[in-house]
Amino acid sequence: MTLVRESSAAAPARPAVRPRRRRGRADRRPRVLVAVTALFFALLYLPIGVVALFSFNSEKSLTVFGGFSLRWYRAFAHDDVLISSLGTSLRISLVAMAGSVVLGVALALGLVRCRTRLGSLAGLVMLVPLITPEIVTGVASMLLFKGLGVALSTGTVMLSEITFSISYVTVILRSRVAALNPEVEEAAMDLGATRWQAVRLVTLPALLPAVLASAVLIFALVFDDFVLAYFTTGVDPQPLSVRIYSAIRFGVQPTINAVGTLMLAGSVCLIALALFIPRLFGRRGGLDILSGE
Amino acid sequence: MALLRPSSRSRRRKADSGGNRMWIWFMLPGTLWMTGFLIASLILVAVLAVGTTDELGNPRFGFDLTGVRALADPAYTEVLVRSLGYALLTCLICLLIAYPVAYTIALHGGRYKNALIAAIVVPFFANYLVRMYGWSVVLSDDGPVLRALRAIGLADGDTKILNTGVGVIAGLVYGFVVFMIIPLYAALERLDVSLIEAGRDLYGGPVRTFLFVTLPATRQGAAAGLVLVFLPAMGDFVSAQLMGGPDQIMIGNLIQDKFFQGQNWPLGSALTMLLMLVLLVGMFGYLRRTRKDEAEARR
Repeated sequence: MTLVRESSAAAPARPAVRPRRRRGRADRRPRVLVAVTALFFALLYLPIGVVALFSFNSEKSLTVFGGFSLRWYRAFAHDDVLISSLGTSLRISLVAMAGSVVLGVALALGLVRCRTRLGSLAGLVMLVPLITPEIVTGVASMLLFKGLGVALSTGTVMLSEITFSISYVTVILRSRVAALNPEVEEAAMDLGATRWQAVRLVTLPALLPAVLASAVLIFALVFDDFVLAYFTTGVDPQPLSVRIYSAIRFGVQPTINAVGTLMLAGSVCLIALALFIPRLFGRRGGLDILSGE
Repeated sequence: MALLRPSSRSRRRKADSGGNRMWIWFMLPGTLWMTGFLIASLILVAVLAVGTTDELGNPRFGFDLTGVRALADPAYTEVLVRSLGYALLTCLICLLIAYPVAYTIALHGGRYKNALIAAIVVPFFANYLVRMYGWSVVLSDDGPVLRALRAIGLADGDTKILNTGVGVIAGLVYGFVVFMIIPLYAALERLDVSLIEAGRDLYGGPVRTFLFVTLPATRQGAAAGLVLVFLPAMGDFVSAQLMGGPDQIMIGNLIQDKFFQGQNWPLGSALTMLLMLVLLVGMFGYLRRTRKDEAEARR
């Protein structure tokens, strides 16, 4: 964009004072920078590529590719422990998604529209999970449950994941709510709608793309989350990421390559979907979903 | 019309005060949830740092400084200093890598800019464990990176990356470099290209233009990136576990150990508070810095 703007829009307007030769030099892509960027992309994708490639290996090795086979995917499909973990992870993600989206959307609406001291306090509370490292959140959640005498289980993972995800939903939604014109709501009320009807029939439909995008994103983040789940899960039905962690710690297991490849593919699809949803609704989609700005 | 206006205005004012009440009801569940589950639990960590546990391992509250006093052990100081060193080096390396990448994409990406940034961001939000596991395979003794380095003569048969500090830092960089790229890219994208041109028009060489024009204009993006990388890097324990050996453990590993293997919860809580303290100092420094920048910009 910047490059295009510079050469097409700005150049004709500017009188030809600058020597042409220098301009050409300034616009050329510096080879060193392009090389660094290319190297960065190569190293970024290499580990992912290695996991994916060796998930199709017919051998057990992680360095020698013996030939194409679906052996490890079959091993995963027959591994009852991993399959039940997959179910546990899906359940946790669904519950956390539903809970955090409901609480987070309401919080975002309240934060933007409510101009009271309570509002700024709530804004501060919302920031805490974003500036606390996950290990601290994990330790804290675990201690809370232990202190209350609640046995760690799938339910405790769900509760902690909701707590952690509310902030993400709120951050994503807040800028969208702020961008809405409150006068539309007021117009609905002038036409006889109650406050709640105005929110339900006017505001929420306008927020739908962002709500869906944040829901998909939270689902992926919770499904992939490992630290919080690790600290708050019980022993028996463990989320998939916690199983993967124990497997990785105790040496190489090619089945993990297959599971990992499936998880990577799944979350890449979901995140791409989250970025793409606003476009489906004819709005400017893109990375602002991730940064919240 | 003239008759209608005052009445609708008064109706609106009435609706506004009622509306404020409704918005408070909107905020309340989420805020109470987070206060109950997060703020309360963080306070619990601080309280347990000076508490004890019973024989069953359940927390028991009281006032006992054993956990806090144990922090003075030089072994823990060493781990803390090492973690700080690793995290700071990670920040520096992330800055050195992210700047050229963000710069190239923002200023030379053309119409592929969004696609390129998405190509960086999407895999970074995919499963952290699997990525780190793949990275440890890539950096292993006969992995592609060491093989390539050996082929160009930069490494010999004994060179190792795994089980060294280099490996741990490489893991942290790979894990969190995206948090540096996003704010830097945002800052560089906002940068007015005519500023760079002005620098060149005033006969600044490319280096001087970069140092005196581009760099200062993106300083806030870099500062945000440093904080965003420092926070997770300081608390990480996966990288040290997968890439490092017993001599590379970080404070996150210690905390994990105290809560799982060692079962010394008061000490674990004290370590967690220590970690939070370090991070708060970092955050405070960042906030003071940005406030100073803002004040200067206003002047």
